[in-house]
Amino acid sequence: MRQWISMLVVLVILSAVPLAATTASAEEELRIYIWSEYMDEEKMPAEFEKKFGIKVRLDFFENLEEMMAKLQAGGIRQYDIVDLADYNMTAALALDLIQPLDHAKIPNLKNIMPKFQEYYFDPGNKYSIPYQWGTTGLMYRREKVSDADAQSWDVLFDDSRDSGSFFLIDSTQEMIGIALAYLGHDPNSTDPKKLKAAVDLLKKAKQRKGCMGFKGGAGAKNDVVSGVAQAAIAYNGDAMRGIEEDPEAMGFSIPKEGAPLWIDVLAIPKEAPNPDAAHKWMNWLLEAQTGADLSNYNRYATPNKASLPLINKEDLENPGIYPSDAVMKKLFWLKDPGDNMRILDEAWTRIKSQ
Amino acid sequence: MRRTHPLVTAMAFVTMGFLYLPLLAVALFSVNDTRYGLIWKGFTLDWYVKLFHNEYILEAAWNTLILAVVSTIIATILGTLLAIGLDRFPWGKKTDTVLDVILHIPVVIPDIILAAALVVAFGLLRLLSGIFEPGLVNMIIGHITFQIAFVTLVVRSRLASLGRDMEEAARDLFASTPYILRRVTIPLLLPGIVAGAMLAFTLSLDDFVISFFTAGPDSVTLPLYIYAAVRRGVSPQIHALSTLVILITVVLIIGMERFTRR
Amino acid sequence: MTKLLIWYGELTTRRNLTRRGLGYLSPGMLWLLWFLILPGFVLVLVSFISRGSYGQLEWNFTIENYKRLLGFSLFGWSADYLRIILRSVIVAVVTCGICVLLAYPLAFFICGRPARNRYFWLTLVIVPFWTNMVIRTYAWLLILDPDFPLARLAALLKLIPDGSALYPSALAVYLGMVSMFLPFVVLPLYSSVERLDWSLVEAAQDLYASRWRVFSQAILPQTLPGLSVGVILTFVPTMGMFVVPDLLAGAKYMLVGNLIQQQFGQSRDWPFGAAISMGLMVLTLISLQLYRRRSKEVDIL
Repeated sequence: MRQWISMLVVLVILSAVPLAATTASAEEELRIYIWSEYMDEEKMPAEFEKKFGIKVRLDFFENLEEMMAKLQAGGIRQYDIVDLADYNMTAALALDLIQPLDHAKIPNLKNIMPKFQEYYFDPGNKYSIPYQWGTTGLMYRREKVSDADAQSWDVLFDDSRDSGSFFLIDSTQEMIGIALAYLGHDPNSTDPKKLKAAVDLLKKAKQRKGCMGFKGGAGAKNDVVSGVAQAAIAYNGDAMRGIEEDPEAMGFSIPKEGAPLWIDVLAIPKEAPNPDAAHKWMNWLLEAQTGADLSNYNRYATPNKASLPLINKEDLENPGIYPSDAVMKKLFWLKDPGDNMRILDEAWTRIKSQ
Repeated sequence: MRRTHPLVTAMAFVTMGFLYLPLLAVALFSVNDTRYGLIWKGFTLDWYVKLFHNEYILEAAWNTLILAVVSTIIATILGTLLAIGLDRFPWGKKTDTVLDVILHIPVVIPDIILAAALVVAFGLLRLLSGIFEPGLVNMIIGHITFQIAFVTLVVRSRLASLGRDMEEAARDLFASTPYILRRVTIPLLLPGIVAGAMLAFTLSLDDFVISFFTAGPDSVTLPLYIYAAVRRGVSPQIHALSTLVILITVVLIIGMERFTRR
Repeated sequence: MTKLLIWYGELTTRRNLTRRGLGYLSPGMLWLLWFLILPGFVLVLVSFISRGSYGQLEWNFTIENYKRLLGFSLFGWSADYLRIILRSVIVAVVTCGICVLLAYPLAFFICGRPARNRYFWLTLVIVPFWTNMVIRTYAWLLILDPDFPLARLAALLKLIPDGSALYPSALAVYLGMVSMFLPFVVLPLYSSVERLDWSLVEAAQDLYASRWRVFSQAILPQTLPGLSVGVILTFVPTMGMFVVPDLLAGAKYMLVGNLIQQQFGQSRDWPFGAAISMGLMVLTLISLQLYRRRSKEVDIL
């Protein structure tokens, strides 16, 4: 019997060795949890590693609610930097998911444009730095959707149109916000009656023959580029990059009923394993050149005033990236619903479950 | 031998074709020279080359392997002991049924229920200790839990078919219990243990649902990687990866056949 | 004096045996207790608590989750979730049926091969069986793609709008499910068919039985063990499957598995997810009971 026990012990120890090997990493590491296709996924981490000797590991999400769910399920101990949206920040702070920044480690904070230094959800950049800002609009292929058609969300919601196949966006607040705006209501409303109307609208849209379901912005953009879908709700930067593949065939628009405007920010989770490296990343990101490289790659608008002179001229003049005043009027901010998040989540489950 | 009705043969071939259509499609498009869409643009092995430079994929492969090996070892040990304990000892009818039911639970219930239970349990255990973060440890625990059941069932059926003669004979020759276990039972049982281990190994490699619910940022396995990539927009690189996985599966199966036929 | 008994040739006491036996049982059973039984109870427990505004667990007792499952919610009553459950059962039944219909010819075919070739054919069936389910499922996205001949054909026949893919749709889900579970039915069925006593079939034919009667009276009863194993290995997992509907149908054709997965992900509603899991568990137990009643006890492996 004793022999068996010793054999057992040996075997268990043996199996623990590979476990230990994988959990202990001698090299310093920076873990970032961010949207997919939001930066040059090969060059940027490599550049950072070259400069600071810290390895960068990227992990991607396709929608914000999933990201929040993961953070709440232990993610605060596993990531050093997480990308949140403006309307998540209040929740993140209420749930105590992020830690305050050490401004001494981020001298480049001065590069941020003044209006992004005093945004309502984090005045003074106590917890976050702005990453990029942009809009969520309609990306379409000109085979089935004309430029005139694309000026309205009818393309997606109007039964009588035949716009070919399309995707709705897999993002609770954005999709419901767009539906509410289309119906003429406040996109941030949590009134059960108005929400029910939005839910019914989205259910009907989902049932349409052309609807291919819900997909995250980047995935849907890829499907429009490959021709699988004729229209999709996508983020403006992704759409710009996709359109480049074939500018004649595709376009992007902000429909007249309104579309979300958002700011993405980077924050450090409460129990991040390597907050020091996180601060280094943030400071490096806020440098003029890095900010410009980033925006020139992912085609989003930069909040970094020092980077502005280094941005491509065509991008600066592109109303799809830097919205004109006229377009700005159509855009709305999404707000954190606080305690009413429940009813939104329930509405979302409803929409998806028919 | 009866001659098979031509209709039966035809249906059989159609069914086979149906089973293989997805696999062949993936293999076909893994050598297509285009990033988007399905139009045939030329033959290329580029996507396979790119695979080996992709750190994330290599890491996912490594994780999948480690997960399978570690969980199989532990599950086989626990499962074999459990099988011997269940079969070779006189438990009452009631105890037997209860133990039997517990054993069959992971096999029979939809794995999403097991995964949900693990998520909730780990979520609470996390408050007690940090090792229950979503990650490799959780995944190993999850895998072992369903593997034990399969291993035990396989080993037990082998045990049942062994009969008592050998061990009784050894007793008659004054062998002690540890000796019998070591020199008689286990060697006779070995094919069953190996079969159980192989089953557990393949189940772990193939598992998606349990891994999906218990994975952490640095413990992505190949199935999880492929799933995430598909949701983002399939690229031929994923087809190349999938084709490789299919080929490895074939090799494993043929290896298993050879081994068990001996 | 404690009673002695002879067990496997050894003279020993019951207590001794129990002690030794427990030594073998305990590692495995303790593991299952800790990581299977207890989590199960925790799941049941969690299904009876409520959720905070951002998805945290709030420990107050409530049966609201079950009420929601039955359709009552802030938006008034609707049968949404019940419909999903019903749909999952229907998909399971249909998938099972189609798999059985396809499995019989295949099993007979393999049995018709000379003995040494059978291994080859069985291996051919096993390869897709062991291939990862994610790969097998997403591959259908390729086959149902708009540029692929199948979708083009459907568009020509005006079944779908021009240029669109054959997914997401119920058809895609069924294709994925059947191709996923077919081997689960074929393999057990084959082992039953292999042991078929053809003399009974010949006897039935000699007595001028119609083809159908030959099948139902001579073949079916003999293959019942294998068939029932195959059915139970298909029916129950099909109900809880979420990968296939998720990849092939998105949110357009949701099954119970998707609903559960959503609660643990995007909707951040663990209690509701737990309640749905309990519902699925009940369905599973019901199907297992039906299975046990209608067939003999069969060893699964």
